[in-house]
Amino acid sequence: MIEALHLTRTFGSVVAVSDLSFCVRPGEAVGLLGPNGAGKTTTFRLLTGSLGPSSGDIRIMGRPLAEHPIEARRHIGYMPENAPLYPELTGAEYLSFRAELAGLPRAERKRAVREAAEQAHASSALGIAIAHLSKGFRQRIALAAALLGQPAVLLLDEPTAGLDPNQVEQVRELVRNLAKERAVLLSTHVLSEVEATCERVIVLSRGKIALEGRLDDLRNPAVADYRLSVRAPRAEVEAAVALAVEAGHVELEEQGDGRIQLTGHGGAEAMNRLLKALVERGIAIEAAAPRRAALSEVFQAATRSGA
Amino acid sequence: MRFPFWRGSLAICRRELLSLWVTPLAWVLLTAFLLIQGGVFYSIVLHSSSLDQGGAPVGPLQAYFGQQSVLLSMTLLFLCPALTMRTFAEERRSGTIEILLTAPLGSGALVLGKYLAVLATYVAIWLPTVLYAVLLRDTGVVQPRVLAVSYAGIALVGSSYLALGTLLSALARSQLVALLTSVFLQFGLFVLGVGEYVLEEGLLRDTSAYLSLTTLLEETSRGLLDSRRIVLHLSVQAWALYVTSRVVESWRGS
Repeated sequence: MIEALHLTRTFGSVVAVSDLSFCVRPGEAVGLLGPNGAGKTTTFRLLTGSLGPSSGDIRIMGRPLAEHPIEARRHIGYMPENAPLYPELTGAEYLSFRAELAGLPRAERKRAVREAAEQAHASSALGIAIAHLSKGFRQRIALAAALLGQPAVLLLDEPTAGLDPNQVEQVRELVRNLAKERAVLLSTHVLSEVEATCERVIVLSRGKIALEGRLDDLRNPAVADYRLSVRAPRAEVEAAVALAVEAGHVELEEQGDGRIQLTGHGGAEAMNRLLKALVERGIAIEAAAPRRAALSEVFQAATRSGA
Repeated sequence: MRFPFWRGSLAICRRELLSLWVTPLAWVLLTAFLLIQGGVFYSIVLHSSSLDQGGAPVGPLQAYFGQQSVLLSMTLLFLCPALTMRTFAEERRSGTIEILLTAPLGSGALVLGKYLAVLATYVAIWLPTVLYAVLLRDTGVVQPRVLAVSYAGIALVGSSYLALGTLLSALARSQLVALLTSVFLQFGLFVLGVGEYVLEEGLLRDTSAYLSLTTLLEETSRGLLDSRRIVLHLSVQAWALYVTSRVVESWRGS
């Protein structure tokens, strides 16, 4: 489990992250989102212990990172952004080094390296010098390194950057599987990645949590649009709209065949009020489609305000 | 799972050695070093043999480790900084330092692992020079104990240079800066020792003699190893490595 409690980190007068509190439990994958400069990298560096917080606490599997840094870091599998590796080593040499660094006994290292490479689809890169590997393979070697020793906590920073669509799907599948037992925190700019792998998201904006919750809840009709198609004179439809919803919340568009399309904001509640008003006026409703907000819309709404 | 301090250091040391020897760096240094030392040794032997009739003041090995220690010091001036320049500066440049800082490993173990790797490489580079003694074994000039003390002197000077170089690599942002600052510092230490020959008698001259690397090498070439010099060099190494570990730890706060 990852627990961040009132984390704050400043660089001089610049506040990189401010009073962050969140928790990632075993068995869930959480997406960490935010525009550039929102504090994602700083948060990851704080959680891995490569940067100390100005205030606040971090617990990894119940171990306070500040008091027991080595014990706590032993539970972390970390894949940094841009996959920094040693180009002069082969994939196998690098993974063996990381396995030794993670404290795996010599007898287990070979097997652990082989299994991690298989999981990350990097087996064919084991015998090749990292300098000669493509970006995609380097990325997968870095991912395999994070999986060594089966850590309980996985921190993955842009894990699919540089991968082709097939490889992206493989990694997403892997993350979904890993998240069945482990606590996975995934930072990415690709919103579809979060939608494909995470149940929960944390949106950072200007170093603070702008939004946090389950994906289903965030995209629920409360922040979503809806679309209705009715067949009636425009004046009648406008009268019903005026009764049901606030001005400016519904746009009317005549389709030319006698139908009018209404696109509204305000979620299911607003749509239901409008439906009721239209039915009471005897207006025929041909189609009603509540639309769940796309994650990009949720993201934009949360980060635009600066929260 | 228990993970003792030394295992973390060993992992770092092994990786560092691998990187040093799979790239040309260690091989280039080894080749250049052996060419220079071979040339120096050859000229000493040639000179000794020409004086044979009149009697050479010291044997060729003693001359190599002692009388010509200025040449040795000059070689070390470039060998040690070249070995240490990349230890931390390169990790920071390439971003791999993040891997090390997030590993279940203390800063002390990290610094010690890197130091042991450059020290082992330094020893490996010197190892072929044992052949010089093997070549001269039938001449009767080789005294094993004196030879061992001579190498102890080389190890003592080198390990101090390497510890200081490791510290400067941690302080520098690039390998080049680490190399240059290390060369300048070691040249400064060399010049400090020259004071023994140019200063008038007094505390300053005594201090200069105590710090002099050439005097240390000259003494060890005669089989003498002053315990005060051992204490001085071990203290310098301990101090430099401790400060390096504090510098590494400070990166977590920066």
